[in-house]
Amino acid sequence: MLTEKELQRYDRQIMIYGFGKEGQEKLKKTKVFLAGAGGLGSPIAIYLAAAGIGTLRLADHDTVELSNLNRQVLHWEENISQRKVDSAAAKLGKFNSGIKIETIPGTIDESNVNKLVGDADLIVDAMDNLPTRYLLNRTAVAKGIPFFHGAVYGFEGRAMTVLPGKTACLNCLYHGATVPKSKFPVIGVTPAVIGCIQATEVIKYVVGLGDLLTDRLLNYDALRMKFSEFKINRDPDCEVCGQPARQVKK
Amino acid sequence: MRATGKAGEKIVSVDVEISPIFGLYTDGILNMKVEGKTVRECLHDLGRQFPTLKPMLLDQEGNLMHSYDYFINGQNVYPRDMSRPLYPGDKLNVVYIIHGG
Repeated sequence: MLTEKELQRYDRQIMIYGFGKEGQEKLKKTKVFLAGAGGLGSPIAIYLAAAGIGTLRLADHDTVELSNLNRQVLHWEENISQRKVDSAAAKLGKFNSGIKIETIPGTIDESNVNKLVGDADLIVDAMDNLPTRYLLNRTAVAKGIPFFHGAVYGFEGRAMTVLPGKTACLNCLYHGATVPKSKFPVIGVTPAVIGCIQATEVIKYVVGLGDLLTDRLLNYDALRMKFSEFKINRDPDCEVCGQPARQVKK
Repeated sequence: MRATGKAGEKIVSVDVEISPIFGLYTDGILNMKVEGKTVRECLHDLGRQFPTLKPMLLDQEGNLMHSYDYFINGQNVYPRDMSRPLYPGDKLNVVYIIHGG
């Protein structure tokens, strides 16, 4: 049930055709596991908080560094050396006191991922490395909850939405390929665009509007200012989702 | 899933588009034509046309490095192997697997 204050706060989006109070109530009931509070995690968290997501569970093991500030807009100079989840939670709590922020100041790994994701309704990928992305993808498939992938490099970005049991997963796309762990180039406007696309996908999924970015990899080339897509077919032999997988909750 | 095209036609050329990251090695050229009947032949022709790109793209066995992926006519393909045939008019996209966040 929405309060009078919430009806007022979210009035403009409740007005959107097909959204309504029902959509807003769905957002309020949703618990998001957001993996990463950096370049992608910042805009994702801000716009999910703005939209009135019920619970945002934010996981990141890092502390804020000066070199983060060109893109990680949830963190400011005064937050340098603080834990990113604390820095993020402080801003988000002031921005929207009506949502619940949970923080996990640790590393996501094979041993704890199930517990950390817990009863979240979906996973959003705002990581900075492929191995953890694969781990989160496997977890999403095993739990039968959606996975919202995003990645950036320089002026390039990509995004894809995974509905386990229905659409291609991250492993179908990249088949476990690896990239040497290294410092990657990036300018803040790139994760801003891709993070907003991921947040948009989450909102659409929860409210039940539009067509999701499933079985499609969105490719954003900011230097040529082009959006393009690749069709991603499910791999019948995918070691993650090729076997019968649980269906998504909805 | 097979790339579209008419089997048996003589290979003329295949359109290639590469990730902007490769532009460093191609004087900024991201779209080009190559010749070859398979992904391997096309990538090796690409390497011949842009010698500085070749060591970035192909490993010592001549295979596409693990950090890259390819799409044929805008789709991913299974199984992913270098001997996959290509046909006149096909388009091959070579992309860097980006991982930043």
